[in-house]
Amino acid sequence: MLEIAVGHSNDPDSLEAIAEVLQQCKNKLGDKIPQAGILFAAVDFDRELILQEIDRAFPDIELIGCTTDGELSSVLEFQQDSIALTVFYGEGIEIRAAVGRNISQDPEAIAQATAATAKQQFNLPIKLAIVLPESLTTSTVSILRGLEAGLGDNIPLFGGAAAEQREMQRTYQFYQTEVLSDAVPILLFAGDIHFSHGIAGGWHPIGKRSQITKVDRNIIYEIDGKPALDFYHHYLNDYKPDSAYPLAVFPPGEERFFLRGALSYDLEEGSVKVSGDVPEHSIVQITDTTLEDVVNASAASFAEAWKNYGGEEPKAALCFSCAWRRWVMGTRANEEYRALIPALQDKIAACGFYTYGEVAPLQDNGQTFFHNTTFVTLLIGN
Amino acid sequence: MADEDKAAEIKDLQKQIRILQKKLERSETDRARLEVTNRNKESLLKGVICELEASQAVLEKKNLDVERAFNDLTLMQDKLVEAEKMAALGGLVAGVAHEINTPVGTCITVASTLMIETESLLAAVAANRLKRSLLDGYLEVAKESTDLLLRNLERAGELIQSFKQVAVDQSSLEKRTFALKPYLEELVVSLSPQLKKGSHQVTIAGDETIEMHSYPGAIAQVVTNLITNSLLHAYKNGEKGHLELRATKRDDRILLIYRDDGGGIERDNLKRVFDPFFTTARDRGGTGLGLHITYNLVTQKLQGKISLTSEVGKGTEFTIELPDRINS
Ligand SMILES: Nc1ncnc2c1ncn2[C@@H]1O[C@H](COP(=O)(O)OP(=O)(O)O)[C@@H](O)[C@H]1O
Ligand SMILES: [Mg+2]
Repeated sequence: MLEIAVGHSNDPDSLEAIAEVLQQCKNKLGDKIPQAGILFAAVDFDRELILQEIDRAFPDIELIGCTTDGELSSVLEFQQDSIALTVFYGEGIEIRAAVGRNISQDPEAIAQATAATAKQQFNLPIKLAIVLPESLTTSTVSILRGLEAGLGDNIPLFGGAAAEQREMQRTYQFYQTEVLSDAVPILLFAGDIHFSHGIAGGWHPIGKRSQITKVDRNIIYEIDGKPALDFYHHYLNDYKPDSAYPLAVFPPGEERFFLRGALSYDLEEGSVKVSGDVPEHSIVQITDTTLEDVVNASAASFAEAWKNYGGEEPKAALCFSCAWRRWVMGTRANEEYRALIPALQDKIAACGFYTYGEVAPLQDNGQTFFHNTTFVTLLIGN
Repeated sequence: MADEDKAAEIKDLQKQIRILQKKLERSETDRARLEVTNRNKESLLKGVICELEASQAVLEKKNLDVERAFNDLTLMQDKLVEAEKMAALGGLVAGVAHEINTPVGTCITVASTLMIETESLLAAVAANRLKRSLLDGYLEVAKESTDLLLRNLERAGELIQSFKQVAVDQSSLEKRTFALKPYLEELVVSLSPQLKKGSHQVTIAGDETIEMHSYPGAIAQVVTNLITNSLLHAYKNGEKGHLELRATKRDDRILLIYRDDGGGIERDNLKRVFDPFFTTARDRGGTGLGLHITYNLVTQKLQGKISLTSEVGKGTEFTIELPDRINS
């Protein structure tokens, strides 16, 4: 039986905040000591202090976490400067954390080795993994490929890329009591649990269809034979790309698209670094959305997950929503969470964060993909 | 209130103040960012609208190009139709030339024989050796020769006359009053070399008295097209056909029925024979314009109607209905 508790505080004082969070978790679990936890924290907190406090409260906990661009939970709904902790307790369930460090040195190989080593410690068959990878230093797509190879057996990955408050400078990952950058922490679940997921976006392509003519992984150099920045300049009248208007990427021969937002750019080269690899010769279009479409995506993704849930009772919904969604929603960001409340029925705890890219398969039992500007719901329980 | 409660309340107030301060900071930066996003949205939509306008302009230009190409094609088609008319005329000229060649050739032979005979007679006279028998022989040759010359020259004259009629009518397409049946007979004479080649039989039947005020040249061209089509399409090599042209009149309408007893036209092709460029004989020089021109001449120039029935293996029949007077 899996039990899940969520604590959430928006007190800017780190010590006060973590004390409040831990108290909420204890209130829910009683004298059960959680085996594992996931921490989402806004960037301004004293991260080391918080991790130490968690360790003090639950000394043997398997913990991962990351910095975020906003947090949400069934306790405080949407917040921008808060910490949210989800803890797991279960009999007949094995949960273990692992981390890959200095991931940018060889993302695929390091991720693969990390996953393979972690896998060996399990007695039960692994069911799924939560990943909170670095996204600014390296290709998240390569990290995912490595993890998949290391885990084998088509084990699905869920999660989101660590974020900060739109500075695009540095994100942090947490592993046990360590605060890291350029790392990929993972939390593996094995044994008697059930889960399902759903994804929805809300962006649609508009404007002319152009072709990627020069790209190296996630750096686009040329679109239609011209510097990539010209493409943005054409639409935005500004050489700065705006991540609220991601690119719809149609890989060659594909009618479905995924979205890629701009992370940074190089004025001299005219190149744009986007949030994930882009296949060569892809067709791209600029996209637009309306607030309604963005807000409605959370409920749509939850409904899909709910429909596919094969177990008896989901205990929690882990939500991974793109930071760009929040930026577009502005003051209406809380509506995205509020749209979930009727479905949660006061029975399912929810916790999530605003990411720099979401991780989930496109369909159940399918390959894991790296998404942007989407809302991923992972239902997990018995 | 107890001191403890007060302390708790103060603590809570302090927390609320911290949160409010943080939120204020946040809302400032967020507001600035939203402004940028909105500005960009405006540009984006402008950009897309410009693109739509541009692609509309491109479409308009394409439309124009297509229109121009279409006009060029129409012009080209008109030219081809014109060329086909000229070709029909050319065929007529060749036929007539061939036909005239025979009497003129005979005349040349006869005239040279007569000349040789005359020279030997003159020589005999000069040498004072003219005998009665020689003179009689010469006179007989002269009589026969002049007979032949006259008949052949008359025939040539006839041919030239009929050709002149058709040729002039074809090229100028002048409107005049004429007797239909004799005109059709003349026309068939001018086509007879082609007809003779396959030794086909042509019957012209109907009312001798029909007079028309119309364009005889157009009628000539229509009939020429129908006959040449029968010759080209209806019969296999060596087959002897029977072509019939029948003219009747009821009130002010003239009915011209043309039929052959050849191979006929397949059902699927019946609807298409009047289409320009429809031909089943492209490999034998067919252009698919003949019946198209015929149709245009009948319906426009001659202000009439044309229809056809055909049965494979039995033959083809064209029914042409014409007004006897064209006024406009
Ligand atoms: N008397 C006929 N008998 C059989 N087929 C005919 C006859 N007249 C016309 N056709 C058919 O109609 C087609 C179109 O005729 P036409 O427009 O004169 O073009 P063309 O003679 O250059 O082929 C011919 O190719 C032939 O298939
Ligand atoms: Mg023809």
